[in-house]
Amino acid sequence: MSLPSFQLHRPRELAEAVALWTEHGAAAKLLAGGTDLIPSLKQGLFAPDHLIDLGAIAGLTGISRAANGDWLIGAMTRIHEVAEDPILGREFPLLAAAAGQIASPVLRRMGTLGGNLCLDTRCLWYNQSYLWRQSCGFCLKKNGAVCHVAPGGRRCWAAFSADTAPALLVLDASVEIAGPAGARWLPLAELYSGAGDHPLRLGRGEILSRVRLPAAAAGMRGSYQKFRIRNSIDYPLAALALALRREANGAVTARLALTALNPAPVLVAGLERCLAAALAADPPDLAAVVQLVNRAAKPLSTSTVPADYRREMVLIQARRALEACLA
Amino acid sequence: MITAFTVNGQPRRLELDPATLLLEALREHLRLTGTKCGCDDSSCGACTVLVNGQPALACTLLAAGCDGADITTIEGIATDGRLTALQRAFGRMGGAQCGFCTPGMVMAAKALLDGNPDPSDGEIQAALSGNICRCTGYVQILASVRAALAEAAGAAADAARPKAAADAQRRAAGPTPPPQAAEPQSAHG
Repeated sequence: MSLPSFQLHRPRELAEAVALWTEHGAAAKLLAGGTDLIPSLKQGLFAPDHLIDLGAIAGLTGISRAANGDWLIGAMTRIHEVAEDPILGREFPLLAAAAGQIASPVLRRMGTLGGNLCLDTRCLWYNQSYLWRQSCGFCLKKNGAVCHVAPGGRRCWAAFSADTAPALLVLDASVEIAGPAGARWLPLAELYSGAGDHPLRLGRGEILSRVRLPAAAAGMRGSYQKFRIRNSIDYPLAALALALRREANGAVTARLALTALNPAPVLVAGLERCLAAALAADPPDLAAVVQLVNRAAKPLSTSTVPADYRREMVLIQARRALEACLA
Repeated sequence: MITAFTVNGQPRRLELDPATLLLEALREHLRLTGTKCGCDDSSCGACTVLVNGQPALACTLLAAGCDGADITTIEGIATDGRLTALQRAFGRMGGAQCGFCTPGMVMAAKALLDGNPDPSDGEIQAALSGNICRCTGYVQILASVRAALAEAAGAAADAARPKAAADAQRRAAGPTPPPQAAEPQSAHG
């Protein structure tokens, strides 16, 4: 299927990309690896007048160390490089596990880390051809006025479905945002709005350029649990990342995040205190921790797999991840 | 806009609309119809080609984004009209049934073998896991890649062995042993 026509820009400098993105605003889209955007263009989900391809910009790729020991990953670094870099994988096995389960091997060579973090939200009623959407009724995320998932409300509940986001959230990552006013860093959690129809909290002209992983998170135990129909290729339908470290004094540092369930990746609040209490019991009682996950997860009928099933799955995932990291 | 790249060793210059996909450039502008359009939404692998030696989905890449790249399609891997060991094995072992997924399967397998001449079954399965076959031929496809590897290993062993023993081994290996002179030294060369 041919793409709708657009003017293609292939800037060689990030500043040039920011200028183009600032100039054209809503009339433009950014192209990273294209593994999500190109199919979406075919489905008529976007019809930009301008496409700004970030693929020719030098300096947006690669994995390096900052002077303070933190890790820096360029936004255009391919997913398979993140998944297979041996040193990064030793320091942050959770990130390697999450990245290594994205889509398929070929798509991991095409898709980028920045693209994954900025992935559009997904829904049964949205990621469909124009004809399908026209026949079944447009939704408020595109062309329509009603949410078929929650028809009474005015909110879009499309699910944020990137795999690297929960892993990077629990590893306490931050992202660098290049914009017309210069660059700024923000905690990854602040990138996401929680609204399915405009999932990213980025201003006009702003581009995610780098990811920073703090040295303090290196060496944490991790578990990435992912449920999808075809393990060889599909987006997640429920997934969970857990990073955990038992300190020398017996205290436990732990963070847990969910994806593919809510319109944003969710860092589960109160996890560490709840886990400490659970571990104080003999034998440890993980039910309360699983209950915390249960309260944070908001699966709705955004996929062909029923929401109840996805909820059941994430509870199982929580228990499996905890058992793996505490073993 | 003008896009210049190398396709199967030949430099090509095309005047293309910026929205042209690599798949369209290959099939419609260059008439290289060996690369198939399966799902058209990056979830089946039928359109797999090599871009600078790396497997990529031609249905999901802008042709303009491949400016300056070295592209290899299924048409470009045979040498002087002789199929590679991998292609012959797909035919011999029943790795192709309807054949629609086959170009993508072969290119994905070639990409694997180019970087890893001795993969395990698990590695072959993983490398082909994004290539969907609707004739349920995965067992034969795995066997095809294995057979190509065995043929390459046999050829390498032949070179270091007295001719009679090598001939006997080749007779045992398959019903139509290819002439030794043309035997490629790698599974995918």
